[in-house]
Amino acid sequence: MALKKKTLLHTIAPIATFFIVFLFWEIIVKSFELPKWLLPAPSNIFYSMVANFPAFWPHIWMSFITIFLGFIMAIPIAITFSAIVTNYVVVSAALTPYVLFLVTTPIITLVPLLMLWMGFGVNTRILTVLIQAFAIINLNSCTGFLNVPTLRHELMDTFGATRVQRFFHVTLPTALPDVFTGLRLATIFSTTTCISAEYVGGNSGLGSQIIMYSQFLKTTESFACIFYVALIGLFFYQLVGVVQNLVIKWKI
Amino acid sequence: MQLQPRIEFQNVSKVFYARRQTITAVKDFSLKVNPGEFVTIVGPSGCGKSTVIRMLDGITTPTSGNILIDGEDFSEKKVDRETLKKIGFIFQEPNLLPWLTVEQNVELPLKIMHMNTLENQVRVKELIDMVGMRKYASAYPVEVSGGMTQRIGVIRAMVHDPEILLMDEPFGALDSITREQLNLELLQIWKKTHKTIIFITHNVEEAVLLSSRVYVMATGPGRLTDVVDIDLPRPRTLDMITDKKFIAYTKQLTSLIGEIDLSKIV
Repeated sequence: MALKKKTLLHTIAPIATFFIVFLFWEIIVKSFELPKWLLPAPSNIFYSMVANFPAFWPHIWMSFITIFLGFIMAIPIAITFSAIVTNYVVVSAALTPYVLFLVTTPIITLVPLLMLWMGFGVNTRILTVLIQAFAIINLNSCTGFLNVPTLRHELMDTFGATRVQRFFHVTLPTALPDVFTGLRLATIFSTTTCISAEYVGGNSGLGSQIIMYSQFLKTTESFACIFYVALIGLFFYQLVGVVQNLVIKWKI
Repeated sequence: MQLQPRIEFQNVSKVFYARRQTITAVKDFSLKVNPGEFVTIVGPSGCGKSTVIRMLDGITTPTSGNILIDGEDFSEKKVDRETLKKIGFIFQEPNLLPWLTVEQNVELPLKIMHMNTLENQVRVKELIDMVGMRKYASAYPVEVSGGMTQRIGVIRAMVHDPEILLMDEPFGALDSITREQLNLELLQIWKKTHKTIIFITHNVEEAVLLSSRVYVMATGPGRLTDVVDIDLPRPRTLDMITDKKFIAYTKQLTSLIGEIDLSKIV
């Protein structure tokens, strides 16, 4: 009963917020008679999202698949990499400064160079997303792998566990919440990176469309694309949450 | 012929190197435990008593001196897996893995040490039954009480049927009623199986109740100061705590530890 009430609250409250915000926006636009190219009314944006869907769809799909592929490929690479780095002091010493370099450098600065080498195609953008997602997932996984309580390592000592056994029986499960934090953050960064890369070059993907519509002062269509980007980002973020709840069944 | 001791420490020292100083945790520690003996090590916190048994179970190695397990020397190398199979370690905290159920936690040593035989599978069930937790076998550790989780910690250390049990203040965090009950259960287990047990505690009553011999340690640096034989009949019961001889032993040990001024105890 109590649970039902809580779920209901969590469903109704955001929907209410949604209506209040957009109603407010609508009223401002209508009462000040703002021109469409400056700030379109939400009703117009939503109409455009539906009416122009056939035109938007290839770009939605393009951005979606770019983020998806870059993000998915980054996961095993980043987790394997951080597992090796945190397990071997030598590897860690040799590579940590460069990984840090990769994390702190805005990936968008690399995009013009990557495009120079690889062209304006989707592969370049997937690679950009992959690099960005890798950096974020790796950083969080390393934190998790290094924060295993000593007592759990000592337990493995008393069984004479090998490095691999120790990793799969203790280190990975202990670090899973941190790994998932990395995955969640990576979805946000992947979306941002994908759209930024589409801004820089090429004529497919929602990023390129936002730039194009803005240049023609078609602000309504621009906004419609931005909303689709937001939906894609939200989708991936929630997807990680769902997977996390399936994987981590125990309470800490 | 003299009996070969199961565990022997010969002038063992352990030094930790901290940032700017060296800390001698244990100095010149010697001990001899015969098969089937139940000994305790008592001492104030920081006397290195935990370090002593950690050296026996692959967690750490001595800086100098010799450690022998069944005659095999482990002064230079970490205790290997074949020897670890003969040892069960019980931590101060239950130290269960929260993502495993009660039963999976108990099975864990078997999986890691590749001892998952049919016979041992039966033991898992028996041990869970023995501590009355059959109902909770598929529960997660957070779902059972503190006393129960420590019981699981105990049977996990026994699941591979080790000859030696090392117990590092195992019941220290529990309330006194649960603690007494677990002590009695432990005595029954020992009586049935005749395992060799080294039990660490700072509670002298617990030491007298359980063991045949008490090693007393002191701090700064951690070292052995006295060894007291406990000449009380077995089986031991809780009634004995009020026995004159029992009280004499606890008084003697308390003054040897020197932590508390006896005149202040009312």
